[in-house]
Amino acid sequence: MTTLPGARRLLIAWATLMVLTLVSMLSARLEEAAQWQALPLWSAGLVLLATAFKAHRLLMVYLNLRAAGSAWRGAFVGLLALTLALIAGGYLAARWGISPG
Amino acid sequence: MSEARPHGDGLPNPGWGPFAALPGNPLMWVLILSELLVFAAFFALYAWQRAAAPARVDAAQRHLDPLMGGLNTLVLLTSGLAAALAVEAIAAGRRRHARRWLGAALGLGAVFCTIKGLEYADKLAAGLTPETNLFFGFYYGLTAFHFAHVLFGMALLALVTWRLSTDNVETAAAFWHLVDLIWILLYPLLYLLR
Repeated sequence: MTTLPGARRLLIAWATLMVLTLVSMLSARLEEAAQWQALPLWSAGLVLLATAFKAHRLLMVYLNLRAAGSAWRGAFVGLLALTLALIAGGYLAARWGISPG
Repeated sequence: MSEARPHGDGLPNPGWGPFAALPGNPLMWVLILSELLVFAAFFALYAWQRAAAPARVDAAQRHLDPLMGGLNTLVLLTSGLAAALAVEAIAAGRRRHARRWLGAALGLGAVFCTIKGLEYADKLAAGLTPETNLFFGFYYGLTAFHFAHVLFGMALLALVTWRLSTDNVETAAAFWHLVDLIWILLYPLLYLLR
């Protein structure tokens, strides 16, 4: 049997995604964007953490991977973790002046 | 309020090997996986280039409007909810509801495209083109590639609204959620992390 998430779980996931998007925007200190200061590291970390949790909720509830078996869950979460590690790595390398060239 | 839907031997796609456990057409999942890998490669390339010229990228990034990007994130995620509710409705045999949710997903997709179009128009009017600098090359490249996926996803949603079946709606919704997922990753990468 394939178990769908159900409307209630979907609505909770949607509300979580909305809140996390707002958390990301607040963490990125948009009120300071006009001055365009670099984010404090904790702030950038919070943005990435919120992004990771949003992507995880989307995979598990919207895409319903929670019903697809542990191998698929692991594959998608692993790919997500790799992608976020690339984003975080590139950001930190730029912040710390580690040039690849 | 979970609903169960029987499938042959208990899997959505029996006979499809490792893809048997995934909902919708298994070939869509091949596409989803390959698209995720392609975007991950582009993100890696952007990260590499940004690390090579951080000051120039930071200076260019400040021309983006993170509030517009955030608004589009909220719109697209709400559209994803509508697509997921369409799957719930069709699985329960509520075809009219499913059509309505698919229409809502399509409408919100159109709102996303409108906001993105306004953003592109604003940047182009300011003389910021893909040739302006490295950052805007990536900005237009990544967002336009994503935009093409949004348009393809909307075409799929329209198609399955016409040819309504559980399998079709699951397949289109899965692609639409991929579009959501990629935007969730693109938004902080281009708009927020500075």
